[in-house]
Amino acid sequence: MARTSTGGMTDAQAQQRSEDIVRPEKPFNRFRWTVTITLLVLFFVTSATVDIELSQLAALPERTLFYLGLMYTPPDVTEAPSAITAMIESLGMAWIGTMIGAVVSFPLAFLAATNLFGKPVVFAARQILNFFRSVPEIVFLILLLPVTGLSPVTVALALGISSIGTLGKLGAEVIEGIEGGPVEAAAAAGGGRLQRIRWAVIPQVIPEIVALWLYRFEINIRNSAVAGAVGAGGIGTLLVRQIGQVREWAAAGTSLAIMVIITLLVDTISGRVRRRIIRGPTRAVDLGANAGEQPEGTGPGAGPKREGPTGSVGGGSFVPV
Amino acid sequence: MSAVPAAPSSRPGSARPDKPPPPPFVLWGSLGLVGLTLVLGWDWEYGIGFSLRDIYDNLGRYNPVLEGVRNLDWSTLASPTVLAGFAETFQMAAIATILGGIVALPLALLNSVTGAPNTFVYVAVKNFNSFIRAIPDLIYAVFFVAAIGRGALPGVLALFFLSIAVIAKLTSDIVDGIDQGPVESARASGASHTQMVKTAVLPQILPGYTSFALYTFEINLRGSAVLGFVGAGGIGEVFNNYYQRGWYDRLVAVVIGFFVVVFIVDRISIAVRKRLL
Amino acid sequence: MITFENASVTYPGGVQALRDVSLELGDGEFVVIVGLSGAGKSTLIRAVNGLVPLTSGTCRVGDQVVDAHDKKAIRALRAEVGMIFQTHNLVKRTTVLNNVLMGRLHRTATWRTLLGAYTKGDVELAMQALERVEIVEKAYVRASNLSGGQQQRVGIARALAQEPKVVLADEPTASLDPPTSHLVMRDLKSICRDLNITMLVNLPFLDLARAYGDRIVGLRAGELVYDGPAEEADENVFRDIYGRSLTADDVLEKEGSL
Repeated sequence: MARTSTGGMTDAQAQQRSEDIVRPEKPFNRFRWTVTITLLVLFFVTSATVDIELSQLAALPERTLFYLGLMYTPPDVTEAPSAITAMIESLGMAWIGTMIGAVVSFPLAFLAATNLFGKPVVFAARQILNFFRSVPEIVFLILLLPVTGLSPVTVALALGISSIGTLGKLGAEVIEGIEGGPVEAAAAAGGGRLQRIRWAVIPQVIPEIVALWLYRFEINIRNSAVAGAVGAGGIGTLLVRQIGQVREWAAAGTSLAIMVIITLLVDTISGRVRRRIIRGPTRAVDLGANAGEQPEGTGPGAGPKREGPTGSVGGGSFVPV
Repeated sequence: MSAVPAAPSSRPGSARPDKPPPPPFVLWGSLGLVGLTLVLGWDWEYGIGFSLRDIYDNLGRYNPVLEGVRNLDWSTLASPTVLAGFAETFQMAAIATILGGIVALPLALLNSVTGAPNTFVYVAVKNFNSFIRAIPDLIYAVFFVAAIGRGALPGVLALFFLSIAVIAKLTSDIVDGIDQGPVESARASGASHTQMVKTAVLPQILPGYTSFALYTFEINLRGSAVLGFVGAGGIGEVFNNYYQRGWYDRLVAVVIGFFVVVFIVDRISIAVRKRLL
Repeated sequence: MITFENASVTYPGGVQALRDVSLELGDGEFVVIVGLSGAGKSTLIRAVNGLVPLTSGTCRVGDQVVDAHDKKAIRALRAEVGMIFQTHNLVKRTTVLNNVLMGRLHRTATWRTLLGAYTKGDVELAMQALERVEIVEKAYVRASNLSGGQQQRVGIARALAQEPKVVLADEPTASLDPPTSHLVMRDLKSICRDLNITMLVNLPFLDLARAYGDRIVGLRAGELVYDGPAEEADENVFRDIYGRSLTADDVLEKEGSL
């Protein structure tokens, strides 16, 4: 009697068993197919109907290379000082805009946190934040322009208003991630709602929230280019003029390079500061008088510990939903 | 104040400490925050001259926007140019999201230590992605309009680069955070780098990646609003047209229409993304 | 000092955590509550300061009835009742002193607490409380830099800064090692004795309960099943409270016996 590889069963037994248990067929993944086909159809329909001439598409590689050549062979740095001045103006718009957004979004973030306020308040606060999030900067800009004039201040206001939504929403997520214990402790000591927020919530969330401001500043530097659409100053306006209107390609090349370099430089500095803010001071542990008590996290192999409820801002990312 | 009498001090070194100065990082950080705000906000050569008083004074002036809000011209929403603008915005956003999403996936994988075959590729792709991300969509648009002429194509290209920037950034962050177990077991079974990425990394990031791509479609819809100002197509051309002429009664109506469209797409997208994750 | 009359608590999910408990605690008594997890120990403690509202019956602290729905009155009552938590519940990102000053929230003008402009008297009280638990030298250290035992002592100081008549402690030793547990229990015991504060303490360990309690209250499935002096609570009594025979997990020091 030959033994099969399926343990101690005889051939007959194995056969019997394989009749009982049918191997499943690969299931049909309807969701995946729906998505794929929808995307393909969407792509072909939109490509076929969109107003793009084939000749334009054909000329694209050659034209792009040609104009890049005009920009950088040879580079022309005579206009660099004006580009740097314009970039500083962009940084100004982005920073002041971020500060406006930070100040306005700060209270809204608390009102939008489900662990602090009741459903109606949270719902109302979230709708307000959603509104600011779904309107683009350019819309706020052209609605403000007739009132406050064609100036960098107007751009800062527009950037600030549109920062409220994201800052408030991400701030609310940070607040919802706190430890509830300290809040209960403040309540048990007889603290009112404002006092609980001030002493049990704010100290827990302030590093993450300040890191969010810096993160938004990095984004607003890029968004400040929107000023170029209406000619309200900054590097965006300079580039739109140099490329789109007077066609000084060599000068535009320099401006573009300066914009990219300064943007990346500010990103790097801001990113470091954000990580430092969230990590907190490196532990200067004082073992002091109480021998036998080992502070948590100072044992062998314990690295710098994160205390924050969400560490994601430190890495410069957030999950948008 | 004798409600809490001190216990006889048995342990040494329990003297009350003096209040220490604030930590240097907090001190300099706060000073930097305030200093930067003053320098960049002041009215001088390197500041933008921010003044609440000016803004307050301006609020009292004649306000064509409020005038427009009072006389909203809803009929403009049905005009052929506006409808065509909305249609073009949708087309541009869809094409750019799909193409950008396809290109962004490898860029996101190579932008992480796990996904890149070697350090050289990792560093190169990381810098490339940062570079793409450092240029705003409006600048891409103005470049391509100058290079190949006005129309939807420069707009699609601008949104294409915007999509790459957003999707690659967000996706590479989840690649960094995946469970390393499957990666290790794929390597242990002798898989090549590509096989490992296909079997151990991709399945872990696909839901997130798809969700980010959908989110990018919303971003592209919103982003398209500015591109028309430099001739790169979409609803932005309508905005620009009405803005230049000062037709705020129509402009505000179209803005509200645009907001409603974005809001609806946002709701649908959130529902689908919940299903994905 | 604390009186429960036919107190019952039913949680929204339908779980009945307390059933018809009547209990009276005197001034300066050190009472330990024992029982299995889920027997209603935490609920009983939180009913005293209204963190968990009673569904029926009453609870009184002094001659004041605890009414969790009267916001103003409950805050005033909580100010008189200090609480110590299992997980310390310190704000780890701020200083020890700021944590202790949370004990002054109700006694100080709201605007002062919001700005952090506490009076000299408040700071003095906080410092005295820290001296009482012998950790004053850490006053300006971030709470995250303290060990578990040190954090719990700060938690005790926060309760003392309230100048309370009653202190509630919810498994104060749960996250500590055995030697530190004894230190903390000794602190609580001496505070109870020296300041004549009524203490109501949850403890999961029989040996600690017997070593430090004046009186032991046993809960099983929300019902009061034992109430008597600590020295009379022998192995049989605990077996009765637990409804099962005792295991090594029921004592703090495994080799020690009851």
